[in-house]
Amino acid sequence: MHHEDILVTMQKDLERALQKPADKRRWAMLIDLRKCVGCHACTIACISENKLPPAMKYRPVLEFEQGTYPKVSRTFLPKPCMQCDKPPCVDACPVKGEDGATWKETKGIGAGIVPVNYDKCIGCKKCIPACPYDSRTIDNGTFHTEGTPELQKYETVPSFEYGKLWPRTSDVPTQGNARKCHFCIHRLANGMLPQCITTCIGRAGYFGDENDPQSLIAQVKKVNKLQILKANKGTGPRVYYVSNDKLEVLYV
Amino acid sequence: MSKHDMTRRDFLKRSAIAGCGALVASQLDFARGLIARVEAGELTQFEAYELMKAENTLYTVCLNCNTGCGIKVKIMDGVAVKVDGSPYNPFTLHPHLDMKEDLQRAAKVDGGICPKGQAGHQGAYDPYRITKVLKRAGKRGENKWQSVPFDQAIGEIVNGGVLFSNVPGEEKRQVSGLKELYALKDVKVFEEMGKDVAALRKKKTPEEKAKAVAEFKVKHAANLDKLIDPDHPDFGPKNNQFVYWWGRKKGGRSDFSKRFYDVFGTVNTHGHTTVCQGSLYFACKAMSEQYVGDTFKDGQKFYWQADQENSEYILFVGANLFDGNYGPPNRTPRMTQRMVDGKLKVTVLDPRFTKLASKADRWVPVKPGSDAAFAMGMTRWILENKRYNAPYLAAANKAAAAANKDTTWSNGSWLVKIDDHGKPGTFLRAHEIGLKEKESRKDKDAKEFNFEYLVAMKDGKPVAFDPNDDKNAVTGELFVTTELKDKDGKPVKVKSSLQIMLETAQDKTIAQYAEICGIEAAVIEEVAKEFTSYGKKACVDVHRGPAQHTNGFYNISSLMNLNLLLGNFDWKGGMIVASTFNTDGTKSDKQPFNLAKLKPKGGKQFGLSVIRHDAKYEESTLFKGKESYPAKRNWWPLSSDVYEEILPSMADAYPYGAKVVFSYMGAPSYSLPAGQTQIEALMNLENIPLYFASDITIGSTTMYADYIFPDLHYLERWEMQGSHPNMPVKVQPVRQPVIPSPNEVVTVFGEAQPISYETVWLALAEKMGLAGFGKDGFEKGQDLTRPDDFYIRMVANIATDGKEPVPDASDAEVEIFLKSRRHLPKNVFDPERWQAIAGPNWKKVVYLLNRGGRFDTQEASYKGDHVANKWGKQINLYQEKTAKCKDAFTGKSYHGMARYIPIADTLDREPVEQSKGYDLHLITQRDVRMTKSRTISNQYLTESMPENGIIINTIDAKQLGLKSGDQVKVLSSTNPEGAYNLQNGKKKPMIGKVQVTETIRPGVITFTLGHGHWSTGAEDVTVDGKVIKGDKRRSTGIHANAAMWIDPHLKNTCMIDKVGGSVSFYDTKVKLVKV
Repeated sequence: MHHEDILVTMQKDLERALQKPADKRRWAMLIDLRKCVGCHACTIACISENKLPPAMKYRPVLEFEQGTYPKVSRTFLPKPCMQCDKPPCVDACPVKGEDGATWKETKGIGAGIVPVNYDKCIGCKKCIPACPYDSRTIDNGTFHTEGTPELQKYETVPSFEYGKLWPRTSDVPTQGNARKCHFCIHRLANGMLPQCITTCIGRAGYFGDENDPQSLIAQVKKVNKLQILKANKGTGPRVYYVSNDKLEVLYV
Repeated sequence: MSKHDMTRRDFLKRSAIAGCGALVASQLDFARGLIARVEAGELTQFEAYELMKAENTLYTVCLNCNTGCGIKVKIMDGVAVKVDGSPYNPFTLHPHLDMKEDLQRAAKVDGGICPKGQAGHQGAYDPYRITKVLKRAGKRGENKWQSVPFDQAIGEIVNGGVLFSNVPGEEKRQVSGLKELYALKDVKVFEEMGKDVAALRKKKTPEEKAKAVAEFKVKHAANLDKLIDPDHPDFGPKNNQFVYWWGRKKGGRSDFSKRFYDVFGTVNTHGHTTVCQGSLYFACKAMSEQYVGDTFKDGQKFYWQADQENSEYILFVGANLFDGNYGPPNRTPRMTQRMVDGKLKVTVLDPRFTKLASKADRWVPVKPGSDAAFAMGMTRWILENKRYNAPYLAAANKAAAAANKDTTWSNGSWLVKIDDHGKPGTFLRAHEIGLKEKESRKDKDAKEFNFEYLVAMKDGKPVAFDPNDDKNAVTGELFVTTELKDKDGKPVKVKSSLQIMLETAQDKTIAQYAEICGIEAAVIEEVAKEFTSYGKKACVDVHRGPAQHTNGFYNISSLMNLNLLLGNFDWKGGMIVASTFNTDGTKSDKQPFNLAKLKPKGGKQFGLSVIRHDAKYEESTLFKGKESYPAKRNWWPLSSDVYEEILPSMADAYPYGAKVVFSYMGAPSYSLPAGQTQIEALMNLENIPLYFASDITIGSTTMYADYIFPDLHYLERWEMQGSHPNMPVKVQPVRQPVIPSPNEVVTVFGEAQPISYETVWLALAEKMGLAGFGKDGFEKGQDLTRPDDFYIRMVANIATDGKEPVPDASDAEVEIFLKSRRHLPKNVFDPERWQAIAGPNWKKVVYLLNRGGRFDTQEASYKGDHVANKWGKQINLYQEKTAKCKDAFTGKSYHGMARYIPIADTLDREPVEQSKGYDLHLITQRDVRMTKSRTISNQYLTESMPENGIIINTIDAKQLGLKSGDQVKVLSSTNPEGAYNLQNGKKKPMIGKVQVTETIRPGVITFTLGHGHWSTGAEDVTVDGKVIKGDKRRSTGIHANAAMWIDPHLKNTCMIDKVGGSVSFYDTKVKLVKV
């Protein structure tokens, strides 16, 4: 048995990383599909944490079935934003630059992620089909308790995306905007792991500074054969996978 | 829906959030330097992450399924906005943080919980919750309601009368109230009558019994009016006509209600165990019966599970533990890495290729209901190939076990008497063969009892022994078949238990067993070999799958017996039991509140229950000899909490009808197989004349109630969750209010409180003047007028249990305690009152509540090669008590030795007729995103899984011309219409979408439980004349329980396991019709 839960180990790794200058660290995520049991807790934890409207998932879990009875296999594939080093969504966005609507961040706590500036996003939807991973969705401004006898207050209490308060008030500020996974940088900034990582019951998710050779993610990377999704697209994902399946066959 | 919808704007006006206007100009400022800016004090409080603060974090326990994971609930603006796993609780972090860990740090460590836990607050904020007492304004089930004052409802239930004069057909219907049923009060009369009834039941012949009844009537002439039926004194007093039953109820709330019904004096208090895995509980109860004096008793309703974090091999049978099964967040992280590393090998027996099977080393898709055949095949191979743990099985008593470093022992070497037909009966007593005489012994209360020695064979000679003797080790030969002589020189045929097991296993060849399972014989042999290749670090871990069949009891016993062949109990990596800190103060003198003593002495309940549990048919006044077989309904000498029996038994008035019925957090009409039969029973106004319920919505069963009292959601209330058998750490998670309740505030015993389950009991007690409640309810100076009066005492007991109490909270922690509850009203959280109750233990109570319970450390959970929290007792391979009970339908004795028995109805007929024309075998399953009936209100879950469907193998789909997405109706011979008859003029057809897959055995179909509701907000209801529109998300999908077979003899109940009580979930044959 481990002397501590890997969630605690990775949180210590994160605290160490936060001591380093931003340009020395490299946020990365690794998902070991051998341990993913397809529970969808990550999807829902993320929805709840970031107050996502119905039909919006930053991190869906895809399910695959292969083979013929009784020689069958099932694979569960959680799919966050890949935080690509060469993000096609950024190329597609007409509001350019680091003061624009979306870009590859290079500075600060969010260095390495692809953020969306809701104040600048014009809702043109060009980024949506540009992403090869379907990681972006337009906020339609709806609520989970819509159509019931009473909308509930927990839905309007603000989320903390990008370290700001985003209440879903009458003028839902994110309505019409593209939204996507941001590795929970509002949590990272406070020394907390992304929600999808902490609620994973199979402990399939890893997160940390892959530049730190002492970090758990760096060690897991080292001893396993890694895969990335749609390598042929040349997007340079920051999300790695360990799987017994060939993901290029499963996820095309 | 438009963004500026009127309703929403109104709503938002009400819930405007402070601080919204103070947003900083650029979001990226934050991203580039938040930490520095917070440290420099540049950021306001709202700009930092509110959800990481100890003062916004409260620890409690989830109840979106029965696993009861530790959760931390994050509060903003008085609202629960986020739920995560508690780092202090071993169910959600492994290993968990030591309780000593600082609250500030813990607030930043989130543990892992499942999607239901993540969505839990949506149940509390369900717009369809009821907040006032509803009284039926139409016929039962018509869904017309009026809200009534709480006091009025309590008064009507206590006093009875003509309560539904406004309902057509009930204008003159007079109902009895609880007051009338509180007929027998005199403790002495209770005891006298109870004793005489017990004696009467022991009379051997119907004639002797009739004589005893006549004598009883003379002796108790003055009190006969207090009996249900003086001609059947064994039915007990009228008090028994108050029937209280429940679905999901945990410690604390159980104790609260027990306090009421122990004084009231009814035997009719029934749980729901048999809808879950009753036969697992009751088979393990039978295995855990202890030899006390001259008989077996004190068996525990519980079971063992594998110590999965140390096992090297586990054979999981019908155990879907990545989707359900006590539970995904605690069991999964203890296994996944070990499975990846090859340190834990797993075999899964299941007709479905479950998520667990998808990670396992071997999947064996057996036919449903054939589990015991597989187990007996393995048993035969293990015994014939001598792969069993011989020293363990030879140990006849505690001392012999200790010599092997074992803390448990079996009766494998004990001698069993064999009758002239070769049937095993009871264990041979040493005095029967003149080996050693009976003794008179004294128990710890100096009460005398008769002790009889048992017998094993050693070196060809019988040896007498005491199984609990920890000094004189006795081992016996394993395989014995011999003839001894009794005192008169007459021959006594005996066999050892293990010999009986061998012969039972040899009833069929391994090839025959394999054929029953629908698999290759080699698989049984290979699994048996693997299972016996890891010493004591191998387990058979079972759950619902094998239990919920008509042969469930023997399936479980056969499978559990395999663990006895390894002797793996209490060993690290073996089979383990749950362990909890005590709540009622009966464990040690250091605990401040002994709740068993702090209550009035009620009359000792007596009489048959409406479900006839803990009772033998042959001992009742209804039994007139052999002509009384088959009984009208079953009798349950070995099982209790037989859920499927409660309502139909009352409707049948067998043995008698009810007068007042109360249900709590249960939905048998939805959750039971053939649930429509439960609705039929509820329509019976004659035998169920008054029915009130505690629920948080108008539920799928409570919609048939006469009154519904709003209850608290699990985030609003107290409960002592307890643990599960796979958890090696000793725990007592405490559920406590973390958000205010929306319920109407009422006054009971002068105390304002939101209406709750406890409030109902308190108000009934107040109205009836029942002792033990109200002012000085516990004792002089100790009142019981609110829920927290009860639970703060329990928390103080938990805090002070064990060698050392928990530490005191520091002043800083007390401050966090108060601050984190700043949003709770005084009628929920009253620190002065709580402190006064807890007295010197107040700061320990704070320390414990700040962590959501008490948890031992991971290190303290193991000692060397053993678990620290042990079973430590004998375990039955052969079940004498079972063998002494008779089948109430056939009059035949039950088998003492586990075996394979085919699926059959109550009259032992295999379901050949019911199957004709119905070729598909229907089973059910859980998806981790749904619990049976209460998670449908959580929109995160319904959006993740908008509907379920009929899951079918490609081969079957092709044969039927079906493809994924096609709509089909499910029909069976007992529901050829394929619909739920809701008895209110509406029928809910069982129609769902086909999902074609390779991941299920051909011939078997399944659906996930939790969808397809007709209540709980799914359909329109009328309250106070206004229509509340239902939410279609809740009615979508299919619930096909109504297709499950009705027993052809019972006619109004599903098929049942006559021995272990389980309902038959997985035995029905159906057909699918395209619609």
